[in-house]
Amino acid sequence: MRLGRLDVTIDGSRMTFVGRIDDGSVLGELPAKLPVGDLVIDTSGVTFINSIGMREWMRLVRVLRGRGTITLERVADVLITQMNLIPEFAGSVKITSFHAQYVCGSCGAEPAPIVDAVAHAEALRRMQAPRLPCPECGAQMELGDFPERYLTVFRT
Amino acid sequence: MQPSSAPPGKLIVAHPDRKAQRALVRLVGATLCPVEVVADVDALIAAVDAQTIVVVDATLARAVPTLRDRAARAWIAVPGEGLAPADAETIDVLLTAGWTHVVAHPMPILAEELLATVQKLIRGDAFGLEKYMAWGAEVRSYMLDDTRDRDAAVNELAKDVIAVGLPDRVGSMVSVIADELIANALYAAPVDGAGKRFRAAEPREQARTLAGRDVVTVRWATDARYLAIEVRDRWGSLDPSTTGARLAAGGKQNPTQSEGGMGLPLAYACCNQFVIGVAPSVMTEVITLLDVRYKPTELGRSASFHTFVGTMEGQG
Repeated sequence: MRLGRLDVTIDGSRMTFVGRIDDGSVLGELPAKLPVGDLVIDTSGVTFINSIGMREWMRLVRVLRGRGTITLERVADVLITQMNLIPEFAGSVKITSFHAQYVCGSCGAEPAPIVDAVAHAEALRRMQAPRLPCPECGAQMELGDFPERYLTVFRT
Repeated sequence: MQPSSAPPGKLIVAHPDRKAQRALVRLVGATLCPVEVVADVDALIAAVDAQTIVVVDATLARAVPTLRDRAARAWIAVPGEGLAPADAETIDVLLTAGWTHVVAHPMPILAEELLATVQKLIRGDAFGLEKYMAWGAEVRSYMLDDTRDRDAAVNELAKDVIAVGLPDRVGSMVSVIADELIANALYAAPVDGAGKRFRAAEPREQARTLAGRDVVTVRWATDARYLAIEVRDRWGSLDPSTTGARLAAGGKQNPTQSEGGMGLPLAYACCNQFVIGVAPSVMTEVITLLDVRYKPTELGRSASFHTFVGTMEGQG
């Protein structure tokens, strides 16, 4: 299904977003198309979200979390940073993994790898991002931004 | 021999630390205006008058945020001392208290930002991204002919930014900033005679030719220190006295109730300096600067904020 410039795929209790969440994405149509109960949402393919898109996303999450647990997998960098601006998201959804901007001090690469939020749950709660191997040179990379921009939603 | 005359104006540096005082005097001394130095609030209050531009330690400002209610030409809060940026909480407190000039970043950005800010105030020349760019930076501009050009302008800008060698991270932030600022110019800026924002609820997919006061221009440039994005509308309706508090509230606002009110806070969250220039009822210009020299963690977590109110005299 296509909502504006967002492709949405629903496969049982799993939903995948690819594209832009913006003025054209009326996400309010989705709950009626989803089974009631727990849901997994993969947003790895989201490339852009603006303030109106964020509003739509919040409305969707509010409706869906009243029907079961929402698990967010591979949350796009552009989405996780905006979710961290909004206190309501802390603890209201389960995030198992997310993309984040890392920087390699050795070769200067600035990739956005996936961070496993389950394996590193304890560190993330303390606002500490794990070091990850650089895909170009193998050296240990660090989070390339302030932890608050990515990890506030995990803080306890 | 007759030296050129000193520019009009009076500057006060208010800081408790002697070393920081010296550094700040050198920075604003570049304007050639006379600079007075004070170390505490009492001395500052005794020295300030309506023509003074005050450069004050952010910690001092936070302790007495109502300082800026006293008549002065401008109050500018700057980071404490040394290489430390102003902390995000201090920035929020000052923006909420209505401060219209808050510098977040330490040297060398402090020097560049403070001098540009003070000169804009002294000269009464409030507009244009060129003031933040080194000589030689090429400026590219786009004029939107129709509301539906917004996406094309944003995509073109992001593509251009990546093409000059800036990382995807910057391209992604540029997309969000440009989209929000253009949307603000298209839908929030237009006001009717009663001050009602009559385009606010206009469907975003609706075509509308942009002519006359509806013209929106976008410009950008980079000098390998900063990437600057400038968006102008012809309404001059943004209220600079309340914008800082809106930005500080940021995500604490409820985006599902504020009906698009998250746009400027989101753009603010994506940049390192957020500069508003308003010629009331004539033009609003928003300039965002991203520092492309340093890692984000080497800068202040919050962006600097400046608002200028001026006229279009001498502007193109």
